[in-house]
Amino acid sequence: MELILASGECNAEDEIICVPERVNELFENPFLGGVNRTMVLAVLAALIVIGLLYFGIVRHKKRLVPSKFGAAVEALVTFVRDEIAIGIIGPQHGLKYFPWLLSIFLVILVSNLFEVAPFINFPVSSRMWVVPATLSILTWFIFVISGFKEQGFSYLKDIAWPPGVPVALKPLVGIIELVSTFLVRPFSLAVRLFANLVAGHVMLTLLLVSGWVFLSGQGGLAKIPIGLGWLVVGLAIYAFEIIVAILQAYIFTLLSAVYVQTAVHPEH
Amino acid sequence: MEALLAVQVVVAELTGDIGGSLALVGYGLAAIGPGVGIGIVAGNAVQAMARQPEAAGMVRTTMFLGIAFTEALALIGFVLFFLA
Repeated sequence: MELILASGECNAEDEIICVPERVNELFENPFLGGVNRTMVLAVLAALIVIGLLYFGIVRHKKRLVPSKFGAAVEALVTFVRDEIAIGIIGPQHGLKYFPWLLSIFLVILVSNLFEVAPFINFPVSSRMWVVPATLSILTWFIFVISGFKEQGFSYLKDIAWPPGVPVALKPLVGIIELVSTFLVRPFSLAVRLFANLVAGHVMLTLLLVSGWVFLSGQGGLAKIPIGLGWLVVGLAIYAFEIIVAILQAYIFTLLSAVYVQTAVHPEH
Repeated sequence: MEALLAVQVVVAELTGDIGGSLALVGYGLAAIGPGVGIGIVAGNAVQAMARQPEAAGMVRTTMFLGIAFTEALALIGFVLFFLA
């Protein structure tokens, strides 16, 4: 909050909210020399995921009666295994890709939920090269390599020279398929996650800061209903963003599984 | 000729400092198509689930896939709004 209000030379009496000169200033908050908030939170997200899996699964196996925490982690893991890995990729190949899908699901889920976590309120996934681009590039490598491994060279041939298409249309469809498979897929995968989280973060910041400014600034009584209105809208969006955070983690994992599935199963 | 110059001056005054607003208009235009598209996807998914409730799980997964693909255009518009 101080980040927005204190940025630049802003006369608080003239302007109600001081908008930073660049949107990036909302996201970069350096402290401790070169370490900034994003790095700390990315490491924290990784530690939380490791902790979840260690205490929820590895340590939990020794207990006779499952605890609530263990049951919750187990439900999450079983959901990814049954619904995404086996449900989309299929029982034959699904389990091979299950560790990767579980890792990206949990990492993205935790990074997204940082957006609505009190006192953190910053989604790590809204930094392009921290989570979205890195994971989508890794997913790209995984589905391309597994495509070549399962189908050999005919994987590339079926995309560039698709069977079942009239010969006159083959070059055109081939080019479209090549671009959409190898360029648009990783790009849209990364941009989808990134843009959803950036939009949510900016929206929450604007609405809640508006409410706070109207309620705490000086002025007559008229500002109180306005500030309360902003706060109510902001809290409604807050609930909506929890759904978005979970849904985006699910969609990223689901699309990764679909891409792997189209690579390992040739279309007949 | 003078009238043309006058029109150009007026146009220049009008468009001189609306760069940011133009990007906003662009985002608004980019949001129309995906808005309609997501409406169609979700509406048809609800219809399919109502007609065949036992297929609801499969329909829901496919609906999310369709929404994700449709939504990408709106999100690219949103990113371009910040880049512009």
